[in-house]
Amino acid sequence: MKKTYVLALALVLCFSLLAGCGRSPSQDTQLNLFTWEGMFPQEVLDEFTAETGITINYSNFDFNETMLAKLQTAKGGDYDLVIADDYIIETVIAEGLAQKLDKSKLKNFGNINPVYQSQFYDSKDEYTVPYGAGIQTIVYDPELVDIDITGYGDLWDSSLKNSIGVIGNYRVINGLALKVLGESYNTEDISKIEAAGEKLLELAPNIRLIKDDNLQDDLLTGEISVGVMYTSQVTLAKLSNPNLKVVFPSEGIGFGIMAAFIPSNAPNPDAAHKFIDYILQPEVSARCFEWLGFYCTNKAAEEYISEEYKDFLTLPIDFSGDMEMIQRISAEAEEAHTKIWTEFKSAAGK
Amino acid sequence: MKNNTKLANFYLGLILVLMYLPIIIVIIYSFNSSRISSVWGGFSLKWYEELLRDKSMFDAMANSLILASSSSILAAIIGTLAAVGMPKVNLRSKGVIEYISTLPIMIPEIILGMVFLTYFSLIRLPFGMITLVIAHTSFCIPYVYMLVKARLVGIDKSLVEAAKDLGASEIRAFFDITLPLILPAILSGMLLSFAMSLDDVVISIFVTGVNTNTLPIKIYTQLKTGVTPKINALSTLMLGATLLICLLSVWIGKLGSHHREDLKMEGN
Amino acid sequence: MKRRLFECFSLAKCVAFLAVLPLFVFTFIFIIGPLVYMLVLSFLQRAEVWGVVNKFTLKNYIDIFKPIYLKTFIESFKLALTTTFLIAIIGYPFGYFMAKLDGKWKKRMMFILFIPFWTSSLIRLYGWIIIFRANGILDKLLMALNITDAPLKLLYTYPAVVVGMVYALLPFMIYSVYSSAEKLDWSLVEAARDLGASSLQAFWTISFRLTMPGLLSGVVLTFIPSMGLFFIADILGGNKVVLVGNLIQEQLMKAHNWPFAAALSVVLMILTSLMIYIYRRISNVKELEGLV
Repeated sequence: MKKTYVLALALVLCFSLLAGCGRSPSQDTQLNLFTWEGMFPQEVLDEFTAETGITINYSNFDFNETMLAKLQTAKGGDYDLVIADDYIIETVIAEGLAQKLDKSKLKNFGNINPVYQSQFYDSKDEYTVPYGAGIQTIVYDPELVDIDITGYGDLWDSSLKNSIGVIGNYRVINGLALKVLGESYNTEDISKIEAAGEKLLELAPNIRLIKDDNLQDDLLTGEISVGVMYTSQVTLAKLSNPNLKVVFPSEGIGFGIMAAFIPSNAPNPDAAHKFIDYILQPEVSARCFEWLGFYCTNKAAEEYISEEYKDFLTLPIDFSGDMEMIQRISAEAEEAHTKIWTEFKSAAGK
Repeated sequence: MKNNTKLANFYLGLILVLMYLPIIIVIIYSFNSSRISSVWGGFSLKWYEELLRDKSMFDAMANSLILASSSSILAAIIGTLAAVGMPKVNLRSKGVIEYISTLPIMIPEIILGMVFLTYFSLIRLPFGMITLVIAHTSFCIPYVYMLVKARLVGIDKSLVEAAKDLGASEIRAFFDITLPLILPAILSGMLLSFAMSLDDVVISIFVTGVNTNTLPIKIYTQLKTGVTPKINALSTLMLGATLLICLLSVWIGKLGSHHREDLKMEGN
Repeated sequence: MKRRLFECFSLAKCVAFLAVLPLFVFTFIFIIGPLVYMLVLSFLQRAEVWGVVNKFTLKNYIDIFKPIYLKTFIESFKLALTTTFLIAIIGYPFGYFMAKLDGKWKKRMMFILFIPFWTSSLIRLYGWIIIFRANGILDKLLMALNITDAPLKLLYTYPAVVVGMVYALLPFMIYSVYSSAEKLDWSLVEAARDLGASSLQAFWTISFRLTMPGLLSGVVLTFIPSMGLFFIADILGGNKVVLVGNLIQEQLMKAHNWPFAAALSVVLMILTSLMIYIYRRISNVKELEGLV
């Protein structure tokens, strides 16, 4: 009996040592990619390795903030390429944790859709390459909803009692109330944020659930009939049930961008440039976006996107809306936001 | 008496069925052709194919298993030794240390992960398997410690005393008398620790290094695209492997016990 | 006095000291450091964008007294109590009966019980979602048995959260009760029965008393994590039950207010310790001494 334990212990120790020493491929041929899981189809990663000989070491974070905390402790090192959300990249650049791109190495840089360039977080496009955009829409099942939804204001309709599902991002959901009141997503006026909080409390009875992951499932199974969800979820929902209606809210449209950047002390910036350039190729890019389900940020890729996906990955040609990005706001305004959000959630639980 | 046993067995069975219910559903849905995790779209093996192509998934699984076994073993050693030794030392600080060592399970994981991140970088520990093991051990120790401690209560001290009177050294008495008596508690604590470590994501994300992605990290970070049934497929494979190992260990155990019986015979 | 001094230097004490040394060292190096950092953090000011400013303030603690945040503490507390109570009721008999099984089955049971927890908790929760869903497995079953005639809409309600919590933490109770019931001397129970005690009496006076430490440590082991667990409430409760863990996560990861998150954690830590202390006092079990 005792022997078995000792043996098990020895085995485990050996394993750990092997894991420690065994996997240390040389620096030049490894790309340390740091982003959420499932951002690329496996084939694209495999083909990149086959073509360039660079292996991809894919590690993940859950929240943008975790990424920033880790990058900060690593002093901008360890990772070669990071893909994260717009607002955090602004902070990353301000903290000096990103390096400027060498555009001579990016021959496909011109493929990027200019709509998604020169935004607040990188106004001169020096640091980042966008990889997918999310646009806040409302999705609903017309069979279960009696009214015609055209904007955020309709969500307050009493016929929607206990039937709306929303994502758990408070800037988006609080912002929705701000929009209904005719304000900007990014207002720093506390009284306006508090007014939005009051407005949200009236919405609470209509809320059935608040969650980030797989919200589309609930819409498809009839658990909810209206959803305010992430773009990839909208895509999945629409693919499964084409009868669902997607609405660009009349009050104005919020959107966000995910973008790739190279940390300031990346061990292998060369490989990072190669990878960015690789996924900027129109055909590769089209495959990535079909997989990802976010709006395509690559203009040249649009013609390669199959018909099935075209509606969800590209903006309508006649698209004209008041588009606004969610940006960083003052600490005080942020505190007001978290307070009204907590109140809203517990009111929804009543 | 007979009836009582039947009732007891019925109860055990019922609870076990409830415990396995979600697992059975996980297995069924691993064969779902739809990407939507709760809509049945027909039978398919495509998630298994996807899984087999994804080498990083298996790397992550290996990391997770190494991490869980190292930290549960480490916790078992530290926790058991301390639980056994604590009543016998009279240090004034022992109550305090005992209390502090249980704090990691009273603090929400996310803040613990965050302070570990800062602290490890402060003492210049390189992030990787070592930091992962340390962090996981910290929240595994309390479980082993408490279970062993509860088990030690009321264990017949006279047995240990008797052994010592018969000339057994302190250490010998521990291995021959105490250890076999507290083994179920150590094992329970280790199994709980193993399961906790294998499932931890929040702390791991903070203290992991570049090369040490764990399985839960891969599962929980699919925020942007949603969790796919690939994970169900992996869970099914893991369950299958566990079952196999369990059966195998029962088999080996049988061999072992035969062997022991043979020895006994010889001894007689 | 002289004797005690002598004892300190005896071999037995030396061995005992060596045995507790790893825990002391580990706690000193890897637990106290981070905890002190957290404590310090809770008295600092947040920076405008990211990180903290090294200025002392009590604002974080004062903010906790806003009614909305106090309410989350009460909510967490209520949920933890409900969960622990139900787990004790369900888990105690299980651990007790398990200890009565014969030797071979005892060992097997330990592993059978453990296997479901090999899979990711997220995946297991998805399993529950499928069970609870409107017109899902549970609804179909109940309707087929004519117990209900319409879908219950159980998902994203409080009962669903409680089921999820009980499910996740039940093994802690079972293992704990089992490991203390397993050493029970059944001949004592037999003897009591022979002396004319009813089986209930025998259980109450002997078995229950002797398994008390297991039950108590089980209660502690389930109560502590249930105060901080929140993602079950998120996934099965549709995020509508706001718990402290949830609040802390949002403060850290979304509002970038680390000091407030640290203060919330400190208060949670103190409250949990206090609860266990009171519980220890009320139950007045000497065996629990030093458990927490």
